[in-house]
Amino acid sequence: MTEAEKVFTDVPCTFCGCLCDDIEVEVNDGKIVGIKNGCAICKSRFLKHHENRLEHPSIMKDGEQSSVSLDEAVSKAVEIIASARRLLIYGLSSTENDAHREAYKIAELAGGVVDNTSSVCHGPTILGVQESGEAAGALAEVRNRADLVIYWGSNPLAAHPRHISRYTRVAGEYIKDPKKDRKIWLVDIRKSETARTVDKFIKLQPGTDLEVISSLRALLRGHRLAVDEVGGIPVSELQEAVDAMKNAKYGILFFGLGLTQSKGRFRNIDAAVRLIQDLNSYTKWNMMPMRGHYNVSGANKTSTWQTGYPYAVDFARGYPRYQPGEYTAVDLLARGEVDAMLNIAADPAAHFPKACLKTLSQIPIINIDPKENMTSRLATVNIPVAVAGIECDGAAVRMDGLPLYLHKIIDPPEGVLPDRDVLGMIYKKLEKEVKK
Amino acid sequence: MSKDIILKNGIVYDPKNGIDGEVKDICISDGKIVEKVGEKAKVIDVKGKTVLPGGVDMHSHIVGSKLNFGRAMCPEAHRLEKPMMRTKKTRSGVTGIMFSSYTLGYRYSSMGYTTVIEPALPPMKALGTWEELEDIPNLNKALLPMFGNNMVTYHYVKEGDLSGLAGFISWILKATGGWGVKVVNPGGTYAWAYGKNIREPDTEIPQWGITPREVIRSLVMATESLGLPHVVHLHPNNLGRVGNIHTTIEELDAVKDIKGFKGRKQTIHLTHMSFETLDMVEEGKPEWKDVSSGGLAFAKYMNKNKHFTADLGQITFGPAMTMTGDGPFQFTLHQMTKTKWGNIPVDVELPGGAGIVPYNFEMKSPANSIQWTIPLEFALSVDDIWRVVMTTDHPNAGPFTKYPLVLSWLMSKKQRAIWLDKMHKFARERSTLEGIEREWTMYEATISTRAAPAKILGIDSRKGHLGIGADADVSVYSFNPLKTNLAENPDLIVQGFSESALTILSGEVVAKKGVVQKTPHGKVMTLDPQLNDDLAARVASEVEGMITRWYAHSFKNYPAPERYRAHLEERIPLDARSVTA
Repeated sequence: MTEAEKVFTDVPCTFCGCLCDDIEVEVNDGKIVGIKNGCAICKSRFLKHHENRLEHPSIMKDGEQSSVSLDEAVSKAVEIIASARRLLIYGLSSTENDAHREAYKIAELAGGVVDNTSSVCHGPTILGVQESGEAAGALAEVRNRADLVIYWGSNPLAAHPRHISRYTRVAGEYIKDPKKDRKIWLVDIRKSETARTVDKFIKLQPGTDLEVISSLRALLRGHRLAVDEVGGIPVSELQEAVDAMKNAKYGILFFGLGLTQSKGRFRNIDAAVRLIQDLNSYTKWNMMPMRGHYNVSGANKTSTWQTGYPYAVDFARGYPRYQPGEYTAVDLLARGEVDAMLNIAADPAAHFPKACLKTLSQIPIINIDPKENMTSRLATVNIPVAVAGIECDGAAVRMDGLPLYLHKIIDPPEGVLPDRDVLGMIYKKLEKEVKK
Repeated sequence: MSKDIILKNGIVYDPKNGIDGEVKDICISDGKIVEKVGEKAKVIDVKGKTVLPGGVDMHSHIVGSKLNFGRAMCPEAHRLEKPMMRTKKTRSGVTGIMFSSYTLGYRYSSMGYTTVIEPALPPMKALGTWEELEDIPNLNKALLPMFGNNMVTYHYVKEGDLSGLAGFISWILKATGGWGVKVVNPGGTYAWAYGKNIREPDTEIPQWGITPREVIRSLVMATESLGLPHVVHLHPNNLGRVGNIHTTIEELDAVKDIKGFKGRKQTIHLTHMSFETLDMVEEGKPEWKDVSSGGLAFAKYMNKNKHFTADLGQITFGPAMTMTGDGPFQFTLHQMTKTKWGNIPVDVELPGGAGIVPYNFEMKSPANSIQWTIPLEFALSVDDIWRVVMTTDHPNAGPFTKYPLVLSWLMSKKQRAIWLDKMHKFARERSTLEGIEREWTMYEATISTRAAPAKILGIDSRKGHLGIGADADVSVYSFNPLKTNLAENPDLIVQGFSESALTILSGEVVAKKGVVQKTPHGKVMTLDPQLNDDLAARVASEVEGMITRWYAHSFKNYPAPERYRAHLEERIPLDARSVTA
């Protein structure tokens, strides 16, 4: 093995919401040849960033993608946007913040809707927070202080592989021995691989999260339950859990899509928020959503400061309005309410329900992404872009709200620009079009 | 370069230069106030109108993670008032009590404000703050990073290493682009990581064996040794508790003996005094039922003790959004109101965290009506208005759009009488406000909203006045105080200050009759302290060690990168080489 010509250190990995920023990237001859400290997904993300790329801007002609110049693709995109009556801009969670800011400008100018992927992941979390608030957590704080960690409806070993080793099963300032001084629990409907690494696994029946959380809350408040078990868990075990939670010095609840997207949805989160609030009358507890895409937190942030709202924003009246269920991508597509889509850094054709696919197959889609995916096959226009955090810089937000600067490691393929530049070109041309 | 301008025949109030309602021309060239301009200058006739330096708001939460938390948690708050439509010149957005970023800049600008300071930056989140500053147009800005619950601060305080602390302050100011030192409930927010609060200056901070008194004193001494333009900006312990005027006075007394940099008289700024000077009725208990106004008592204390300045945090009525680095107080508020409660810990810097709770101030509430009287009683009883700044701690005690209303209370006894009639009877019974005859003059209002905040922030050579060489930040209002008795016409005060006739930012007309015309960025003022090499090297290596040990991200990724700052920043060098290593 030859030594790398250049090593980049302290690089944030742009895959999941952990945004681990201790990655070492080895570069030889303008190519990434080695990764240190990263998980398997991180390695694949960096080492295979050049695979499955969209190679050229293209426009669909007679059912085939045919290569065009960037200018032609941008012109076609502008033509689609300018003639749309109800445009949907979607995605954004796997690109950096400046791209979001350009996307909002387009949405505002075109009078369209802009939604990010949180509407299909932690959207219910946001609704729960809007109902009751949130005692949010922070990751260094967890590492330094938490003596009881609960993962609920999430499988970090698979989805956030370094979450446990970086933040919870690791010593911190006031937790000298992470095995003895800190307990980790998992609450899930099945015994996932994470279950094998934790101190306690609580299995609940599918769809009973709301009942279980509400029962924990009732027990915490000293009520007696008139049943023997809830969600398949004996009440005595729930009582033990509550006692442990109450006696912890500093607790943290990490929760995943098992809680947000199962029966009860935002009501589950509302109940969890209130449980944590109640616990704060006794001791210190916080909570944190296990955000999936590396910059979905950033998409919520940028949208919030520019428009006031974290997702599902409609500019049809010339100012931002917010209504999840009404202006969320899945709902708009399932109802066949939009007549064009600008998709950025997401793959709705692969991930959306069947009812949406019908609309997706009927409307023009402008797809902006570094890689081929299901959506790129359907798209009327494809524009390849640089991979943020590898081929261009930018900013992103970790799952606990920490902003991090993404590094540019190597040049993008020739002629390939960052999302923000492509979106900026679309905006400029659209502005001229609108003035006509 | 913008065109030269001459504002002709306006009625000028410029307290720094002793000008009290004189008819005068103001000349502007190349972004500065100048003695005269050539014939080609654009003539703007402002005859019969009031000409003031651009408004300076020294304490308003306009940017950052707690504001965004509040915005996202309370979408209902954005529909309290009409949103702003996109126009050819301006972006759209929401209004109400928090505003979105663009509309916040526009609304301030249309009220005649040109400089606004964000007073609570969690340093490690500086990058996100700079991104957001990019989207706040029409204002000069600055940031005050928080130091009072930071474990690195505590390390230096515990070691008694004031040079190290001064070095750390410099390091943070450089890394984050900060302007001064903010302290919020020192030790109390930290204790919130243990589910506790600290209410008194001599209670030990968990794990550290140091006290809030030592933290405040050390930060004041370090700030004075560096000679930062702005003194320590203090939100003391025990906020929002009945009887806390004693804690506040004790904490101010605690720094009284500290010598100011180059003999400056003031060494500390007390912010939003309305929440910190709650007194209680005789033989009362520290409970809300026994609350009374401490405004007069605190004014007397201020008249006797010259070492501090204060801003009001005036309570207005209606919906507000409370957000502060004082996490434990916010939990108490949540338990009282049973409304939503958000809390954001910031790792090693604000371990207990900031709290966000919506709140509705009601005139019929005995407590709220007394709270309303406190800052008014205070502001109308102090001798030296140069030490008193009008704020509402936006959006805590109400949004900045209520400033005109606050000025009407301060400038018109008639207005106070009208409002006292709407209040709970305790407003009359438990404060002396009703009997106060004083009405702030235009001159005094100009001091408190322009000249004084500029002076306290240490930007008064260029901001808050209209003398030759000042930055050409100017606001013109359409009322005429020489002809109209404002005190008798409080509605005119409210109307008059709600929309400027003209707002000029760095020599450019940016708003006219309340409508934004141009959307330049303004500058973000930051400090660039130069330490002696030995101290800089020592602190850099120690801070790297502590950040690597305590934080969950890389030391290298801590500072806000140049790419997000350089184009917005006006970096002001500060020679602090005299601080010993």
